[in-house]
Amino acid sequence: MTITDRLFNRLVLGAVVIGFLALLAAGGLIGWSIQRNQDYNQAVDHTYQVQGAVYQYRVLAERAEAARRGYLLKPDDRYRQVFVETADDLPPAFDRLVDLTRDNPHQQARLDRLRPLAAMQSALMRQSADMVRRGRQISAVGMFRNDNNLATMESMRTLLFDIGEEESRLLKERAARQERGVSFLKWSLGLTLLLLLAVAGGSVFVIFQYTRDLTRSRRDLFKLNASLESAVEDRTVDLRRANDEIQRFAYIVSHDLRSPLVNIMGFTSELEAASIPLQDLVTRAEAEAPGILTDEAREAVRTDLPEAAGFIRASTQKMDRLINAILRLSRDGRRVLAPELLDMHGLVAGIAASLKHRTDELGASITVEALPDLVSDRVAMEQILSNLIENATKYLQPGRPGEITVRGRMDGIRAIYEVQDNGRGIDPKDHDRIFDLFRRSGVQDQPGEGIGLAHVRALAYRLGGVISCDSELDQGATFRLSLPAVLLPERASE
Amino acid sequence: MTHPVTIVMIEDDEGHARLIEKNIRRAGINNQIRHFLDGTSALAFLESAADGPSLNGPALILLDLNLPDMSGTDILVRIKREEGPLKRTPVVVLTTTDDKVEIQRCYDLGCNVYITKPVNYEAFAQAIRQLGLFLSVIQVPDIDGAA
Repeated sequence: MTITDRLFNRLVLGAVVIGFLALLAAGGLIGWSIQRNQDYNQAVDHTYQVQGAVYQYRVLAERAEAARRGYLLKPDDRYRQVFVETADDLPPAFDRLVDLTRDNPHQQARLDRLRPLAAMQSALMRQSADMVRRGRQISAVGMFRNDNNLATMESMRTLLFDIGEEESRLLKERAARQERGVSFLKWSLGLTLLLLLAVAGGSVFVIFQYTRDLTRSRRDLFKLNASLESAVEDRTVDLRRANDEIQRFAYIVSHDLRSPLVNIMGFTSELEAASIPLQDLVTRAEAEAPGILTDEAREAVRTDLPEAAGFIRASTQKMDRLINAILRLSRDGRRVLAPELLDMHGLVAGIAASLKHRTDELGASITVEALPDLVSDRVAMEQILSNLIENATKYLQPGRPGEITVRGRMDGIRAIYEVQDNGRGIDPKDHDRIFDLFRRSGVQDQPGEGIGLAHVRALAYRLGGVISCDSELDQGATFRLSLPAVLLPERASE
Repeated sequence: MTHPVTIVMIEDDEGHARLIEKNIRRAGINNQIRHFLDGTSALAFLESAADGPSLNGPALILLDLNLPDMSGTDILVRIKREEGPLKRTPVVVLTTTDDKVEIQRCYDLGCNVYITKPVNYEAFAQAIRQLGLFLSVIQVPDIDGAA
């Protein structure tokens, strides 16, 4: 994944998170706005109540006055009854008004001015009604004429009107506020709806995008896999062809190299054979005619000729062994592998048994632990493991009884085998070199041409495996062989 | 045996030829040995030379497989073909190749003996001398149509 991809993903994630946060905020806003609207509604309702109370008080006051006047004109007990009842209702109505407008100091001030007027009016009314009840109707009427009843009533009316006006103004204001609240709520709802649509749309878009990308990359992967397979196939064919070529080359070269060797060996032997009569001649000359014999001639026949022949012979023999090794490698490389189920423990135990004579002589022991079985080529596996185990017995540390352990385990679809010894070890700088043909490491006190491990590696490669070495000088060595647990049969390439 | 058997050696390496001849002689075989360095001249001699085996008595062929102008097996096929005059002539393949497939092929094509030249000269000399002893005792058929 590239940096820009990661950045884009973060941006998308961030946008979605912000969208959801905004939605949450919008929800909160709507809740708050509904709450506020309820408050507004209550305020409006309260105003209506106040107006109602003002109206009720005014009606009661007018009615009481009207009832008193009726009683003054006609002292009927029914008028008095109405008056008394109405006058009794006045104080609670006033108190209610005070209660309702306790939050409004202006209204309270007005009510404070109204209170003495109402008390005075009430006292006057009760006094005149009382006088009438006691039969002093004339003096009561006289008092009515003189008292300032009309002005008081007027003042009360004005005050009550003002209170009503104030409440009307408040009502208008509150109604406007309520309307604004409702419209705000509407707007917030609309906005939230838009936001919701945006977030949902964004999410759907992102999911769609991702799904499409996923599908596309899966398809690409599939295609890539298919092409990879065919690429591997092609490469395998190429490799096999190159390998065949090398094998053929090694085969032809080694055979053609052999022909001159036959001559070198043959004529060297002829030379040696020819030098025998010469030596006899020198011996005879020494005895019979020492004068004709020079030191150089004697030296040449007795020393130089046999020495030269000996070196030629030794080198030629070595060359023959090397050529044979190459031939063997090439022959093994061309052998068709026959995978079969191998009882690895039995196979290794067999190798150990075949080396028993040697290990007994050396005082070494071979321990074979539990080994996973595998499907592979028997001959190749035998050659690999016997080479490794033989090497382990060959390069022991003098003075330390050899302990060789063969162990194995499964690692996924591969089987791992290890041949561990406590021998002289291999310098880490030589770990690659020892697998090269004709290359050896350490003290050269054992016979060998540096072929075994090259052979082992070539075989391991052929079996689809790898071999590695783990060792320090004087610390023993562990050769680790990793092979496919199941070797597929080769297709006939020729 | 009215005619002495001619040994026809087809060997491109003069050194090998010399060593083979020496060792055959050392085995006490004194038959005539005709040496050819390439397949063409060898076939010419075998099939049409006036003193060649086709017209002139029995022969035994020592054949190397690696020749400059043709493969030894081609010569083998030519000699052993059904209508050829030399089909019963014994052929000893004497070569450096010890490949199993090659050996099988040579016997399939009718070679009578297959010998690998050992690089070790003692073994080589031994093999040739034994071949010489073998040559001294085997019966070689007369060529049909030859005098």
